[in-house]
Amino acid sequence: MTEMTDVSPPRGRTALRPWMLVLPALLFLAGFFVAPLIDNGARSFLGEEGGFTLARYWQLLSDRFYLGVIFETVALSAGVTLISALIGYPVAYFLVRKAGKWSGLVIFLLIAPLLTSIIMRTFGWQVLFARRGLVNNLLVDQIGLLDRPLRLLNTPEIAIAALVHVLVPFMVLSIASVLQGVDRRLEESAQMLGAGRVRTFFEVTLPLSLDGVGTGAILVFMIANGSFVTLVLLGGGLQTLPLLIYQQFNTTRDFGMASAMSTILLVIALVCLWLQLRLVRRQGG
Amino acid sequence: MTKLTRRQLLGTGAALGTTLAAGALPRMASAQSGEITVTAFGGVWEEAVRSCFVAPFEEKTGAKANVSLGGPAQWLAQVEADPSDPPVDMLIMTPDLALAAADADLVEDFTVEKLPNLAEIPQQFTDSVKGKGTIFDYGVGGITYNKQVVSEPPKSFAEFVDRVADGEFIASLPSISYAVTPIMLIWAMAEALGGGVDNVDPFFEAMAKMKDNVVFWGGPNDFFNHLASGEADLGIYFDGRTWNHYDSGAEWIDFINPEEGGSLNGVAVQIPKNADPLAWDYVNEILDAQNQAKFAKIMNYGVTNRNVTYDEVLAPRVTPWQKTVFPPYARIIEVRNEWVDRWNREIGG
Repeated sequence: MTEMTDVSPPRGRTALRPWMLVLPALLFLAGFFVAPLIDNGARSFLGEEGGFTLARYWQLLSDRFYLGVIFETVALSAGVTLISALIGYPVAYFLVRKAGKWSGLVIFLLIAPLLTSIIMRTFGWQVLFARRGLVNNLLVDQIGLLDRPLRLLNTPEIAIAALVHVLVPFMVLSIASVLQGVDRRLEESAQMLGAGRVRTFFEVTLPLSLDGVGTGAILVFMIANGSFVTLVLLGGGLQTLPLLIYQQFNTTRDFGMASAMSTILLVIALVCLWLQLRLVRRQGG
Repeated sequence: MTKLTRRQLLGTGAALGTTLAAGALPRMASAQSGEITVTAFGGVWEEAVRSCFVAPFEEKTGAKANVSLGGPAQWLAQVEADPSDPPVDMLIMTPDLALAAADADLVEDFTVEKLPNLAEIPQQFTDSVKGKGTIFDYGVGGITYNKQVVSEPPKSFAEFVDRVADGEFIASLPSISYAVTPIMLIWAMAEALGGGVDNVDPFFEAMAKMKDNVVFWGGPNDFFNHLASGEADLGIYFDGRTWNHYDSGAEWIDFINPEEGGSLNGVAVQIPKNADPLAWDYVNEILDAQNQAKFAKIMNYGVTNRNVTYDEVLAPRVTPWQKTVFPPYARIIEVRNEWVDRWNREIGG
């Protein structure tokens, strides 16, 4: 790098400045991310007859139905994030501290579901949990535990479970990468000073690994916030903004409303991202 | 370390730009070199389009037809984005979107002068999209059921509602995110139960009665999974797709056109303004009796050329369009958004 800045360029040529290296990426982002976002936002303020309007935002933020949808979107994402963290942390801990030579296998098992398409995984849930699916057949016909099959599919619970199934690997890998870097001597010091294993975990290990939890939470929340396929196939009555956005495009062709909804979804994501970052930093992560 | 100069960077950028621009060349060249871009749904639809329409078109004109896969909402959005140079030269549309394209003056008028085979399409199909296109094939939205579970299927929409409401069956119905649900379910059931386009209360009352015993499908394959996995016993679905599943080995599946008449769900063909003139030759092939008969045989859907004769396998499967209920597409579009909003609030996702 020193060579680039110290050596004068040949006459007629200008040496490449370091910032120019990011120029292609910036141009790409500007053209294919920022510009569409601005266009999308602008469309949401464009009235039916042209001109500026806030009517769509007023409707979305004052109508109880839409407020309910916004709440359900956030609640679903927060719930999936929380469950993923509760499941993911012990798995990450096991992976880093206990798996030893099996860690490669554990990582493979974690990532393996991501190698198949999300549609196939969701259809897999249908096959397993349908009224005459594998689980119900087992409970009713094989074991005889139930008289009639349970209704497991097309419920909010199964949609949440399917989302957690898809998103837990993101949480585990985020936590594991931070846990890996936690200095074991700090934990040993705490125990030498009289702290038990549980106290050591909650007062040393967990705070030191919160950065990983935060990263995982952000990833999981963001993906859950925009999740669509799983909810379409297993939603069971859940109504979230991505589903309504698709509906505006596919069924009613109200692109202005779809744009307003997507802008609100984006703002929700950004606010939650900011809150999570603040929370994690305050906790000392 | 190798030094990059601004000139080298610009040179690389220019090369990259040229490469990217080359992607647009086939489209730019298409108007001059006898190439058009036609549309098709994926899967067996694409195969049928290639063999029944693209092949005869290419043979007769010596031109090439590139097939763009996707869906009507996407194609219409593409044409809306660039009407002076539409990226596709013909559109496969649902009637509601065909009417939206017609109302936006994005598509050409269909006349017998431009399309000789249009003379063999019943006028109703062309009128239904305001003469700016025509319907070339159709599916009937009726009752599809699993024969192994439902020995005596409901014969009408009214019986369907009563028996599902009683808990005799779990029904799989199209969700509101499926584009033609307002036609094939809301309007069709309202009409069958004594309402109509101005009064869909009977539909919403029926849904309230059935709510504990219904699941919703987001796409056609989803419906098949519901039946195959036992999540549902029967549902509202298309005749053609039912027979496709049957021919694929699902011999447990069957279809009934309800006594009130299932809704006719047409597939319209249109030509965007400023499309390549070769598009007229291509669409004329779509309306040709022989090509349509071949298409019907592959797709198991009815077609609209009055000279088409179905073979002995297909004849009993295809519901003649006269025995269906022809939806008032234009009027449905006017109230569709209210129906969707009501669905969201009363039925949910």
